[in-house]
Amino acid sequence: MTYQIELDRVEKHYGRFHALKEISLAIPKGQFVALVGPSGCGKSTLLRSIAGLERITSGTLRIAGEPVDDLPPRKRDLAMVFQSYALYPHMSVRDNLTYALRLKGVSRAERARRAEEVAAVIGLETLLDRRPRELSGGQRQRVAMGRAIIRQPRAFLFDEPLSNLDAALRVRMRKEVRALHDRIGATSVYVTHDQIEAMTMADHVVVLQAGRIEQQGTPVALYDRPANRFVAGFIGSPAMNFIPGVIAGDGRAVRLALPGNPMLETTIAGTPGLQVEVGIRPEHMVLGSPDAPDALPLVVNAVETTGAASYLFTEGEPELIVTTEGTATIRAGDTIGVSVDPARVHLFEPETGASLRSASL
Amino acid sequence: MTRILRSLRDGIGFDVLLVIIALSYLLVFAGLPLIYNVIISFQTVDVFSLGTLWHPNAGFDNYRAIFDDPLAGRVLWQTIVFTLGSVALQFTFGFALALFFHQNFTGATWIRGLFLAAWVMPGLVVGVLWNWLLSGDFGVINHLLESLGLIEDPVFWRSNVETSLYAVLIANIWYGTPFNMILLAVGLAAIPGDLYEAAELDGANAFQRFWTITLPMMRATIGAVLALGIIFTLQQFDLFAAITQGGPAGSSTVAQYWSWQLSFREFDFGRGAVISVLMIIVVLFVSLIYVRSTKAETQL
Repeated sequence: MTYQIELDRVEKHYGRFHALKEISLAIPKGQFVALVGPSGCGKSTLLRSIAGLERITSGTLRIAGEPVDDLPPRKRDLAMVFQSYALYPHMSVRDNLTYALRLKGVSRAERARRAEEVAAVIGLETLLDRRPRELSGGQRQRVAMGRAIIRQPRAFLFDEPLSNLDAALRVRMRKEVRALHDRIGATSVYVTHDQIEAMTMADHVVVLQAGRIEQQGTPVALYDRPANRFVAGFIGSPAMNFIPGVIAGDGRAVRLALPGNPMLETTIAGTPGLQVEVGIRPEHMVLGSPDAPDALPLVVNAVETTGAASYLFTEGEPELIVTTEGTATIRAGDTIGVSVDPARVHLFEPETGASLRSASL
Repeated sequence: MTRILRSLRDGIGFDVLLVIIALSYLLVFAGLPLIYNVIISFQTVDVFSLGTLWHPNAGFDNYRAIFDDPLAGRVLWQTIVFTLGSVALQFTFGFALALFFHQNFTGATWIRGLFLAAWVMPGLVVGVLWNWLLSGDFGVINHLLESLGLIEDPVFWRSNVETSLYAVLIANIWYGTPFNMILLAVGLAAIPGDLYEAAELDGANAFQRFWTITLPMMRATIGAVLALGIIFTLQQFDLFAAITQGGPAGSSTVAQYWSWQLSFREFDFGRGAVISVLMIIVVLFVSLIYVRSTKAETQL
């Protein structure tokens, strides 16, 4: 199978700084891939390397099966939407949209026709003669998208395109970008530091840290089966709770380093006596009576309410977060009982952070 | 009075005071002399009447005398050649250097700073320097041209009627290029880098990026640099004084130098003022271009 974009053991060095480490990634045609990670993880460098704005140090990069390592950006036939939009300030919206066509020598009539067509798709028909500075942030964003769409490129590259928009508009554009991707059958690579954006928009999420791919897969796979502690903590909001523990009993339970050393059942087989890091997502901690037999007794330190959900912060080290639906009646100082579905318990190796689940599967 | 003092003490009205100070300075040291100069151009002023504030009216006699002067046509032509030649070549070399140093190679900023050395020198020093370089018998320029086989006999740049204007022109291009380079470098630096990246992905090669991004984005800066170039060139006096003194036989006399000669060599202040009044009109037009350019710059 030929992939639309294919990276094979790509490396990038800036002097002594190792920015990308052994990146292998294969993106089929029509897929929406999100590159996500904390700032400085290399996600933007990776995107810029695909675009050709950065030269990779070693490895191979193929676009539609053709090696492009030595091709300058203008010969790669990729379109990029920048975080700053990078609209040409001295050109009207129409000229911004048709700039690439003009360079290609497309006739004036054809350019006008395509501009109208794309303007209709992005909803900017009435603004074609405006300058970028006369547009709102959301409208500029659309022009940047339109400029990419009009070229019908081999793939779209997005560099945090929504991060300059306000929260409400961001949520709306998220859906629009994805709908647009589906409508024109594009292949998209989307860089973001926002894991929610990555999870909601992408078919395939690539989590990067320190220049390395930590894990890649569908959003649900990353959420349900994080390969390591980093991915487990990065995906999901609020972040997963981590509690030190020791595997006990027949290896299907852990003793937690919490007051009273409570036992927690798991579905992962481990060697009794092994030190582990236990991971439980806040939304998988089910509130019950503190007197229930299997419940973990926890003391609430603070409560945050969003209306739809409430976050209970517990006292002591480590601080745990418990998510409950609706507005909680619980107050700081109350003792709560928390039970956890054994299948929802994650175990990680404390040294390497690797998940023990993958080992047991 | 107490109210004024109180407002000063309280800092209210301080802004008004600052405006008054600046405006009075301009009025006393620029406005009045300018107006007086216009008045003088309509009067007969010689060494004897110089000491008085008011001089005999001359009507348009001074203007007529200037326009009828056989030197006038040549001076006008020489001023145009000198100004356009200086501005065009200072701009071309300045822009080329600005683009060159924009490549940001190691030491670029440092070497660019060295180029400014030419610009910070006093005009008379630059004049003396070029006197040596352009010297007919032992000048470096002649030696270079001879070694390259471009000329057979030494050119006496400064004393030849054919070349004297170009001797000053060459020196002035050298003198003004760094200033052009710095202003244009600032303009180049103000263009966001991601525009070039976007254009590169849109398929633009280096030449197309220069033509469709750099030049249009620099329009305001270029307008300002050209306008300032014309104004500064029309102010250039030191180089003429140091290199040719307008000669030989007026072959390198330009308007500003002629005005000085009329006023301070021939002591005909009326006719000297006529030339400066005519130059003020030209400079006013150029200043309008400059102001419009800087306005466009803030709008982008």
